[in-house]
Amino acid sequence: MVEPQFIPALDEKMNVEGLNVFYGAFQAIKNANIGVPDRRVMALIGPSGCGKSTFLRALNRMHDLTPGARVEGSVTLDGTDIYAPEVDPVTVRHRIGMVFQRPNPFPKSIYENVVYGPKIHGENNKNRLLEIAEKSLRAAALWDEAKDRLHRSALDLSGGQQQRLCIARVLAVEPEVILMDEPASALDPIATSKIEDLIGELKKQYTVIIVTHSMQQAARISDFTAFFLLGELLEVGTTSDIFTRPKDQRTEDYITGRYG
Amino acid sequence: MARAIAPPAPLSARLSGDRARSRRIVDRIATGLLWTSASTVVGLLLIFVGYLFVKGAGVVTWHFLTGSPSASEAGGGVGPLIFNSFYILFLTLLFTVPVALCAGMYLQEYAGPGRFRDLVQFSAESLATVPSIVMGLFGLLIFVQTFHWHFTALGGALTLTLLNLPAMMRVTQEALAGVPATLREASMGLGATKWQTVLRAILPSAIGPLTTGVVLVAGRIFGETAALIFTAGASVSYGKSAYDFNPFHTAETLAVGLYQTHREALVPDADAIGNGSALVLLVMVLAFNVIARVVGRRLTIHFTGKA
Repeated sequence: MVEPQFIPALDEKMNVEGLNVFYGAFQAIKNANIGVPDRRVMALIGPSGCGKSTFLRALNRMHDLTPGARVEGSVTLDGTDIYAPEVDPVTVRHRIGMVFQRPNPFPKSIYENVVYGPKIHGENNKNRLLEIAEKSLRAAALWDEAKDRLHRSALDLSGGQQQRLCIARVLAVEPEVILMDEPASALDPIATSKIEDLIGELKKQYTVIIVTHSMQQAARISDFTAFFLLGELLEVGTTSDIFTRPKDQRTEDYITGRYG
Repeated sequence: MARAIAPPAPLSARLSGDRARSRRIVDRIATGLLWTSASTVVGLLLIFVGYLFVKGAGVVTWHFLTGSPSASEAGGGVGPLIFNSFYILFLTLLFTVPVALCAGMYLQEYAGPGRFRDLVQFSAESLATVPSIVMGLFGLLIFVQTFHWHFTALGGALTLTLLNLPAMMRVTQEALAGVPATLREASMGLGATKWQTVLRAILPSAIGPLTTGVVLVAGRIFGETAALIFTAGASVSYGKSAYDFNPFHTAETLAVGLYQTHREALVPDADAIGNGSALVLLVMVLAFNVIARVVGRRLTIHFTGKA
């Protein structure tokens, strides 16, 4: 029922058509269509349980890991369907990284966390790995805090630092798209603003799709916003349009706080 | 708003009263019962260990620990028996750990819910309930008689492998199940394959409980008797050396030796040897439990940087 809403004049990095996601018999996403522009931040908003996280996880085939989850429709990355039978989900997740709701560093040192990705993809050169670690930690705005304790446990970092480490860990595998599932929801306001600044930096190089509970956050950091309700993708547009001139009454109700 | 709220009863009334008093008494009795039960367990252990120490401490000398058993004279030692215990333990772990680790990994990480997993789980649980004497007779039938190995260290070790595979598999499964799902997602999300995830993210995180589990099972293997009497034999190999590495030689362990001493020993100091052996066995098994904790914690710190 929702027409694909392409955003003109921008390169399209990902495209979703006719996406349905089921958990057993329950349909969590109903016929979602969306184009994701390259090197912009797109926010997914909507009340709890509306399917925005489910949608996000369909974009790098994380549902493959959930028993009983089933995905229909097409999701393309640079025009290639990531669900095509000849596509390796491992490659998909290499190109489309993910940052989770709760910081989930490995119980290893900070350094080992960052180089985990490069190592599994075959990089063994110590100097090269150190370079990658520094570059990624700098990009994640964690280098100054971490440089003197690279070989200490990542679990000793604060929650906000851990989340930036998780972002650094994703950057280290040089993805093209970064999916973030409420990356700041478990963090305090200062840590949150650091993550938000970081996302502003990241979009110069990466396409970022972020699920957020906070409409203020969506308004602050995103260029485009998609609104989900009860498994349906109701409306997509530039963030300023969605927040000032929503087309759908239900979007307006949510934005103005009359929902969830 | 207009409805008046009844003022709470005065504090003193709520805290005294018959009901409050009887509740307090029941609470005291329950606490007392639980404390007594826990103390009984600790007390029994202390009495048991203390008794063995009093009886056995005088017997355990360097000569007793290293000397060879004697057939008919007093003054024999249990050196080869201790060696055999460790040797059979080593062989058993050599067979058990890799198979149990892989099976547990498969069940926990790979097998989705389904018939095959249920079947393996059911088989393992059934195998775990087989009494060790039955397993010993099975080993007798297979290794001793069918294979014509006679009583051998290898036959004993293989029998113990059958006996302990289920427990070891369970240990593996539980250790892996304790690793948070978020670590799996993190690893897979970085483009790791399933195998890379298991090997580099999950196993290192589970190494502590895994080691603890393995050493605890090892302690059980060390004390096992019934399964060995008819498979590894109840006499030490009188080859060239008392410390015999040939897996096809008979190998009486300390636990089996203890049983034999009380059953049919001809030596005049059988009681003393029995007391000494019991003490050595007990100390070894306790040592395994302590080692399990220490090593498990050390490895966890080493692999995860955090206790």
